Amino acid sequence: MKTKWIALLLTLCLVLPIGLASAGDMVTELPRNETLYFGGLAWSPAAGWSPLMGNASNWANDQNGGGSRTMMFETPYMYNAMDGQLYPLLADGDFAWNEERTGIVYKIKPAAMWADGTKVTAHDAAATWQAGFSTPQANANWTPFVADVVALDEETVEVQATLVDGQPANSLMVTQFISQQYILQKAWLEALMERTGGDPAAVNIDPGDDIMWSGPYTKYFTDDTRIVLVRDDNYWGQDDSMWGQLPVPKYLVAMIYADNAGIKNALVAGEIDVSQAFIDNIHLLWEAEGLPISTFMDEPPYGLCVNMPTIFFNQNVEIMRERALRQAIAWAVDYDAINQNAMTGQSPTFEQVPRSLMNPTPGEQALYHRDDPEIVALQWVGNDIDAANALLDEAGFERDADGWRTFNGEKISLTAHCPFGWSDWEATIEIVAAAGAKIGIEITSQFPQESAFYDQVVINPDSVEFDIFMMWTNSTAPSEPWGRIRNLLSSEWVGMPNNWSGNWGQYTNERADEIIKAIPLETDPAALMDLYTEIVKIYLTEVPSFSAMYRPDKFHAVNESVWTGFTEDGDGRNVPPFNCVSGYAIADLYNIRLVGE
Amino acid sequence: MKTTLRQVLRSPRFMIGFCTFFLLLVIIFSYPIFNPGDPLEMIGLGTFFKPGTYVSLYDSVDAPRIYTLKLADSAANRIAAKLLPQDRVDMKDWLVLYGIDEETIDIEDTRALLELWWRNYDPDLRIDGMIRARHNAYVRLDRKLNGLFNSEDLTILRPNPETGEIEELLVVKDSDYVNLQDVVNVRVLPLGTDNFGRDVLRQLVSATATSLLMGLIAGTIATFIGLLLGLISGYVGGWVDDFLMFFINLFTVIPGFILLILISYSIGQEERSATTVAIVIGLTAWVWTARSVRSQVISLRNRDHVNLSKLSGHSLPRIILTDILPYIASYVVMAFILQISTAILAEASLSMLGLGPKTTEIFTLGLMMNWAMKYTAHLNGAWWAYYPVILTIALISFSLNLMNTGLDQVFNPQLRS
Repeated sequence: MKTKWIALLLTLCLVLPIGLASAGDMVTELPRNETLYFGGLAWSPAAGWSPLMGNASNWANDQNGGGSRTMMFETPYMYNAMDGQLYPLLADGDFAWNEERTGIVYKIKPAAMWADGTKVTAHDAAATWQAGFSTPQANANWTPFVADVVALDEETVEVQATLVDGQPANSLMVTQFISQQYILQKAWLEALMERTGGDPAAVNIDPGDDIMWSGPYTKYFTDDTRIVLVRDDNYWGQDDSMWGQLPVPKYLVAMIYADNAGIKNALVAGEIDVSQAFIDNIHLLWEAEGLPISTFMDEPPYGLCVNMPTIFFNQNVEIMRERALRQAIAWAVDYDAINQNAMTGQSPTFEQVPRSLMNPTPGEQALYHRDDPEIVALQWVGNDIDAANALLDEAGFERDADGWRTFNGEKISLTAHCPFGWSDWEATIEIVAAAGAKIGIEITSQFPQESAFYDQVVINPDSVEFDIFMMWTNSTAPSEPWGRIRNLLSSEWVGMPNNWSGNWGQYTNERADEIIKAIPLETDPAALMDLYTEIVKIYLTEVPSFSAMYRPDKFHAVNESVWTGFTEDGDGRNVPPFNCVSGYAIADLYNIRLVGE
Repeated sequence: MKTTLRQVLRSPRFMIGFCTFFLLLVIIFSYPIFNPGDPLEMIGLGTFFKPGTYVSLYDSVDAPRIYTLKLADSAANRIAAKLLPQDRVDMKDWLVLYGIDEETIDIEDTRALLELWWRNYDPDLRIDGMIRARHNAYVRLDRKLNGLFNSEDLTILRPNPETGEIEELLVVKDSDYVNLQDVVNVRVLPLGTDNFGRDVLRQLVSATATSLLMGLIAGTIATFIGLLLGLISGYVGGWVDDFLMFFINLFTVIPGFILLILISYSIGQEERSATTVAIVIGLTAWVWTARSVRSQVISLRNRDHVNLSKLSGHSLPRIILTDILPYIASYVVMAFILQISTAILAEASLSMLGLGPKTTEIFTLGLMMNWAMKYTAHLNGAWWAYYPVILTIALISFSLNLMNTGLDQVFNPQLRS
């Protein structure tokens, strides 16, 4: 009898934890009609909530020029990629340059509050800037352009520009600063500095669990599968001076998936409402499957193609410093195959938008002499195997008995990398490798895990572990296309460890550096156009890297099974298709409604 | 020997397996003769072209003769292809939502339905409560129906290369046909194309050959190692057996596939050629062969003829090779066949995880599945990109296993009838 009781007890010990675990899951079950689910905005569990963290891996605090995410932390202004304008958020009305044109002045909205009920003040903005010096990275990219952020009074902020010959080094970057950088609470920053002693290493890893927010959402919970935000019903933005209401969904959930295919499955099943992932043949989801899925545009390219994923050559590797080889590979690549097979048509072709350093938007395309015969002659469209072979023959790359090209008597064997699971990039790398085979260059594709890829490309500037690799470029922001050109060509990134900005191929060109410095100071539009044209010529001649495709900055597909009313092309609302969270796209959260309402 | 062979050939299982496998080999060797070319050539711009015959539209215009066929149902076919039954229901739904009396809509009367539709439908009108995806579907439907009743001739124009003027090349009537044999460029793609625009059948044949070769290499290595360790351990016994069994048990408790994943990952993609992957598979798949061979040898080592050989002073290798091995040869052959099958499955599994051979020069069955999965062929309805691959893997596995079972029936005394 006693044995039976012991057996029963042991069984209960085994079963109960399972039951309790299930009950735990039930607690976190969110009401579907109050929750907006996202895919492709988070790829790993959150490490923390502080925007000052080095790698918080948290979708709630993403700051970038195309539009910072302002669900939890807010910027003075929101950038709208649709019209290139800044819309006030924490700021009250438009900003203005001061009389000497040495800085931007704006006021904080009187209604703007922190979640603890205290007012957002100009001192918070100034303190955030100062705190940025206590991290390895927060201010590093800004100090060439922003000298200081000063509170002129409780409400008035002045962002002082870094001056060159009495002029702002780059006025557009100062503008970008006020739409990109969050304002954090001074009181919380002081607490952070006190517990870390202002040590950059400590600030860099402080998760900020006690952080104060001003945005409409705050942290709810995070685990290995999702990062959840819950609406703050006391949000100041319900004031008539801002949105006049609360955002509609009570919960925002960024689901974590392993790859694009996982996100597509979830979108098809209606498990997520908004997808920021490349979905191959997306039109089939509504044309063939009849699913309630749509994109910003109903026709190709379906989204705003403002990014130019780029194939880089690693100049640390001796052979990659051979211009003829770089050119030959670039000429041989079949870009139509990349467009149609890797991107499944979700991109304009290089016949439609000839290659340069500009994205396909009319504003950027108008910035250089597109009809200049020298430029036109340089704008290759690809798949030109004969020309590539002739170039290699002329440059002395001989073939061995098997037909492979040699360099210094040895067979050329290159590797081409991109992160594992990024299916459109992987297919692009395969197409580049296939182009290599056609001209006698052996290129092997490699798809390391994302972190291993960054270790090679971003963290270690001296790495010779890879020859060819794929990375993104800047998309759209107040400072573009200058920012993109700087990140593609400026030698200031050469040799920099932990470089997330650009020029990962370590390319240097003195004239390109001069032009990158000159463009922000140039005020004459004609001279500016000449400078842009010259640097495009350098880029297309030297081929330190080359665009593989035009691509949306954010993929934006929605499943209207639960929610509807998302932004769409031509709806007159002017909200960018940036997943309802980036920059002015957050306006969508105030517009969507439940299906059937 | 003759009797054994006759028994093997009489085994229906063996013969079905053998014939299936032989057929696969025939296809592998003969198909490239009829359809030569690089299996990795990207011929299609676009993903997953469906299986069928592709006729050059450009060359059709230049066909030497235009035939006239007066087929009574051609117009009806054209309408049926564009206006599906579900479209009729959808049109009715929209018209009702728009405010048309449901009783007045007859979805069977094509002309009346279309006239009602064209009279009322406005693509710019948003019906209250209708989601955007639905609205877009109606816009596309309306576009599809445009000109459905048109039977006017089509005119094909061509710019004159000398003058640059546009000249009329051809007027096409709805009763005009060309004979397929008159069109210069026709390409049959029995299994369509994959996400790279490659001919799936050509690729499948090439990938099957590669996978079989990999299976052969891996199977040979695994069988050789297993056989060697099993023979030594089983025959020598004592501390050698203890030591080898310790070693074998170590590998038994580590799941083979996990080991395979770890080794493949650590080798790195650059070094992962088809041969390397096959070797790695072989090096991790020998364990059960070793254990089984050891058991067989233990049952043999005290037989009279072995003892006689020992007394005659024969060396250890000679005893093993002449007195032990022939008695377990049939078993080894069966194990070898199973090893090949297991190795092909292991390669497919590895490649599905992205740990297969590097893909630039060669394709395997697993890599085909891997890319079909990456481009979600299963969600796009592109069955031809993955189903034939699954079928091929199943056929190889099925045929090898049948051959193995057939041999077992012949050689295993307990199963012998």
